[in-house]
Amino acid sequence: MAEVVLENICKTYGNSFRAIRDLNLEIADGEFLILVGPSGCGKSTALRMIAGLEDITSGHLSIGGRDVVDMAPKDRDIAMVFQSYALYPHMTVFENIGFSMRLAGKKKAERKKRVDEIARTLQLTELLDSKPANLSGGQRQRVAMGRAMVREPAAFLMDEPLSNLDAKLRVQMRAEIASLQRQLGVTTIYVTHDQVEAMTMGDRVAVMKGGILQQVDTPKRLYDAPVNAFVAGFIGSPSMNLFEADLSRGTLQTPGFSLQLPETVLAERPALRKYDGGKIVFGARPEDLYDSTLASGRSHQTVPAEVVSVEELGSEHVVHLRLDATPVDSGDPDAVEELGGLSNAVARFEPASAVSADSRIDLAVDCAKLHFFDPGTHLAIR
Amino acid sequence: MTARGPKANYKLGRQIAPYLYLSPSLIVVGLLMLLPMAMVIAYSFQESAVLRPDTSFAGFRHYRAIFGDEVFWASLWHTLYFTVASVVMHMAIGLAFALMLNSDRISPMLRSVLRVLYILPWLFTQVIIAVIWRLMLDPNGVVNSILVDLGIIGSKVAWFSSVETALHAVTFANIWAGYPLFMVSLLAGLQGIPKDLYEAADIDGATGPQKLVFITIPQLMPIIVSISLLDFIWTMQVFPLIWLTTGGGPIYATEVLSTYTYKLAFSQYNLAQAAASAVTILLISIGLTLFYIRHQKAR
Ligand SMILES: Nc1ncnc2c1ncn2[C@@H]1O[C@H](COP(=O)(O)OP(=O)(O)O)[C@@H](O)[C@H]1O
Ligand SMILES: [Mg+2]
Repeated sequence: MAEVVLENICKTYGNSFRAIRDLNLEIADGEFLILVGPSGCGKSTALRMIAGLEDITSGHLSIGGRDVVDMAPKDRDIAMVFQSYALYPHMTVFENIGFSMRLAGKKKAERKKRVDEIARTLQLTELLDSKPANLSGGQRQRVAMGRAMVREPAAFLMDEPLSNLDAKLRVQMRAEIASLQRQLGVTTIYVTHDQVEAMTMGDRVAVMKGGILQQVDTPKRLYDAPVNAFVAGFIGSPSMNLFEADLSRGTLQTPGFSLQLPETVLAERPALRKYDGGKIVFGARPEDLYDSTLASGRSHQTVPAEVVSVEELGSEHVVHLRLDATPVDSGDPDAVEELGGLSNAVARFEPASAVSADSRIDLAVDCAKLHFFDPGTHLAIR
Repeated sequence: MTARGPKANYKLGRQIAPYLYLSPSLIVVGLLMLLPMAMVIAYSFQESAVLRPDTSFAGFRHYRAIFGDEVFWASLWHTLYFTVASVVMHMAIGLAFALMLNSDRISPMLRSVLRVLYILPWLFTQVIIAVIWRLMLDPNGVVNSILVDLGIIGSKVAWFSSVETALHAVTFANIWAGYPLFMVSLLAGLQGIPKDLYEAADIDGATGPQKLVFITIPQLMPIIVSISLLDFIWTMQVFPLIWLTTGGGPIYATEVLSTYTYKLAFSQYNLAQAAASAVTILLISIGLTLFYIRHQKAR
């Protein structure tokens, strides 16, 4: 039974660099929380403060109702899975998994029973006598999991545990970790920079940027109702397309096209009215853009676009487009590259689409699904 | 030339080339090491080797003479004590200093000062070390006056010239002279241990000493074993330090195999027996070296 509560946590490195500012998070007992954000945003720092590997500059932290700010890592009743796995190279798999029990003075027989049990769950039984150097990446990853599980901790802390695996194994381990967590029901905080992991694994996702928590929500809510342009751009792949426009009498006006917003959109977002007659940022997810020559696109308004390139993935076509409008940087460092190229928008078309590179098309936009943000603060307009 | 000619030449050339490159060093090693070694081995089986032109085969007579000599066995024992104590203490002191220099609880400023201080013994040759310690351990030297002032010893001790203390004193001087090799090697080893192993151990509940035993020492083990073996081989053959401090005395109290052999050769002019003694040292060294090479290969 352990909830983890962070209150106003701050972290300053070397008395000047503020890595974490005022972090508030409540993770319920048994919850799987994903902490996601671009690299360098302070995810590891936050996790390491919870683990006790890094001092907390100010704020309160409790695990299972106990204030743990001044406790050593071993007294916090947590287990951690490191990005590098940090397996003890000179110990066998058995010794690695049983190390904490050995330190706790548990008898050999008791250790063996428990380690065998865990090895069975993780399919490591045959490997118990091997050294880490002789294991594959996936096997090492499972040993690291086993070492965390053996202690039956109040909370698991995982720092990008899958980032050293190849793509295929990552997909498999993603599912394994998620199902293991459900099975064990242990509160888990999982750090990743991969928004696919974030969207598929956890109960809730906390998005961070530059040491500041942006939004904590279920994956679906995060996707459907991002609180700001950063979250909107960061969650979802390919990223949401963000453009600047003038709003006047319910019409978005850019240099190259205009879009009339439906009544429902205006009715659902009373705050939009304040922006009438001024600038606004609007966003469209790639799947809300359609090929106007196909049935799915016919009912929507269209804008002229130039096709820069087409990636045919089989199940869909990812189409890179150029629109005559000013793109907006969401602040996600991974997305900047797209802005630098020739295209400034991405759409996902059905495979039936026949658009080809270097052609001009009419792009259908589902205006009911657009997102709106303040041009200054980038906060969502609701 | 046949069509195979150039190809065969090329192949032959490639096979010979490595030996050509090696040949200068092989010739030097052969002339300066293997030849003298073979000669010493030959002397050890001759009567009146070197001293007279007409020598005859002596069989194992010189070896029997040496193995029947009490002083030889005393030297062997002293060598063993001197070497084992030196290597163990080199390792212990080297490890302690390396840990200290690697600790981030000591300010970086102090650490760099200590690093220079600790490495000082390495700057001196054995001759200078012998002179330093003869002065320091002189009955009227610094060490005695400090120990007397502190009340640790009642009266001044002639460290190098009393039978009870001489062997310990030379061993002590050699420990002082030799720990930096361990310190530097272990420090490099310590810096190569991934930090996250200690963090994982922190979370697993290890205390400071437990981390030393379960993480640091096992991680340093390959370095500890290879440097220990090398140190053992070198220390076994130390000569100038002992020769210039005690000369093997008083009354054989610090006689080691190297001084024993030297005296046989150049005080008693018994070159054949000296050769037999030298061959004995050689055999022990070869044994240790083979062990070292096997250990290096196993890694
Ligand atoms: N020990 C440290 N000293 C100073 N700055 C640090 C230290 N560790 C991390 N940082 C800085 O803090 C920021 C957040 O780091 P980190 O938490 O590792 O990011 P993330 O895990 O999200 O990639 C980075 O800008 C990083 O450079
Ligand atoms: Mg990180």
